[in-house]
Amino acid sequence: MTILKVTDLHASYSTSGPEILKGITFEVEDNDFFAIIGPSGAGKSTLIRCINRLVEPSSGEIIFDDRNVTTLPRGELRMLRRDIGVIFQEFNLINRMSVMDNVLSGRLGYTGNLRTLFRAFPREDIDHGLRLLDRVGLIDHVDKRADELSGGQRQRVGIARALMQNPKMLLLDEPTSALDPKISREVMGLIKQMATELKVPCLCNIHDVQLATEFCNKIIGLQDGYMKFNGPTEDMNKEKLDEIYAMEVL
Amino acid sequence: MTEEVHHLPLMTSDIILERRRNSRIVQTGVCLVLVALVAWSVQVTIIDDTDWERMGSFANVLEATNRFIGIDFALFKDLIVPTIETFMIACLGTLLGVIICIPAAWFGAMNITPFKPVTYPIARMMMTLSRSIHEIVWALFFVAVVGLGALPGIFAIAVRSVGFIAKMSAEAIEDIDPGPVEAIRSVGGNNLQVLIYAILPQILPQVLGVIIFEWEINIRRSAILGLVGAGGLGLVFFRQMNTFNYHGVMTVIIAVLGLILLGEAVSHRVRRSII
Repeated sequence: MTILKVTDLHASYSTSGPEILKGITFEVEDNDFFAIIGPSGAGKSTLIRCINRLVEPSSGEIIFDDRNVTTLPRGELRMLRRDIGVIFQEFNLINRMSVMDNVLSGRLGYTGNLRTLFRAFPREDIDHGLRLLDRVGLIDHVDKRADELSGGQRQRVGIARALMQNPKMLLLDEPTSALDPKISREVMGLIKQMATELKVPCLCNIHDVQLATEFCNKIIGLQDGYMKFNGPTEDMNKEKLDEIYAMEVL
Repeated sequence: MTEEVHHLPLMTSDIILERRRNSRIVQTGVCLVLVALVAWSVQVTIIDDTDWERMGSFANVLEATNRFIGIDFALFKDLIVPTIETFMIACLGTLLGVIICIPAAWFGAMNITPFKPVTYPIARMMMTLSRSIHEIVWALFFVAVVGLGALPGIFAIAVRSVGFIAKMSAEAIEDIDPGPVEAIRSVGGNNLQVLIYAILPQILPQVLGVIIFEWEINIRRSAILGLVGAGGLGLVFFRQMNTFNYHGVMTVIIAVLGLILLGEAVSHRVRRSII
């Protein structure tokens, strides 16, 4: 089944500025682990951010879970965002809050204002958070402040926060590029394992082609806002990679 | 690269000496003008404007100074209530100021102001108005509006505090890391949740530091507000001065000093513990 369908997507940061995405079209199936590769500045992050409208697309259509994302009004957009977990390159944790509070913040879309004010999350949310922290290996760090953790541990908090949403899809924006190679592989492995277990499709920006081919079943190649490749990982070869990365001066 | 070097004008010792001579002439000219200005100011504001006869000889000046040395112990019991009042004016004034600052900082932070063309200028105007008018003038205004007592003092302190606290808070908000904001938006959080989870934790230590710093300054301010009838130690000071009880004046000054030192000590400790 198709969970996400993107058609002829265009985006730019200002009306007069250069276009970042120039007509992107692809589909994500509900068992996909999709990689988006390409050189820096190709538009990978913008593409990811357009899916849940952290960046407003200028034209094109995004259908997620039978909902037309691009035309949703504010309130319904928030409902939609609850169904899409995002894992960020720089983790984007709240540094002065505890690990548990960070994980619980994944439930804010389901939490009323009064409960938010008093951080009064229901017991089942706390239980769910504890289970996830156990799964990502941080059960001993529940009460620590987020800024006391190492990079790899912080990204594990990020993973737990995203899964706390019970998402129907995960967006990963360079989840490992702030980490060293060994930790990167561990973190990617963990994401893949959790995604498979919970049957959540993933759309993952990644500039490390090696990691992309290792973990992903489909690949999109972006270059300067254009889609240069879209297909299963097996079809990716040296010539196509060279074409995608052709603009990068070595 | 090498071509450009050839186009540079050839430098000679004549050019360098000429330049230095010129700049020496300008420097000397500027110095002469400044000296003339200072001399003129001294003539007009000090020599012409001072009542030299009243001042008398140097010995007279020393004697007048000497009148202040000494403490009026009888005044002590009358100082307790005004000291507490001064302290409370500073505390309540700061608290009220902080409350006024919430909309001012929210409107005045470029990145979160709700409707930039209207709300941003409103906030900036509040901040400028608050800071560019002296606390004594604010106090005079509020004494005229609500009458004598501690209340106009509290209002004056509150209004005068808005400028600094709101400006620093707005700047702290503008400097936040946008990452957590993006994260809370992406889980489906609303504006209030973004504020509580992504903005407040980032600015809180800085803003608390600013508030405590302002509170310390407000103790100083509230100590003089009584001069215009807005309660506290200033009022006692004014009365002692009017009755020529110079020892009493000194006693009040010491009380003010003690209160300020207390405020500074508290402020220093609290700020160190939160930053």
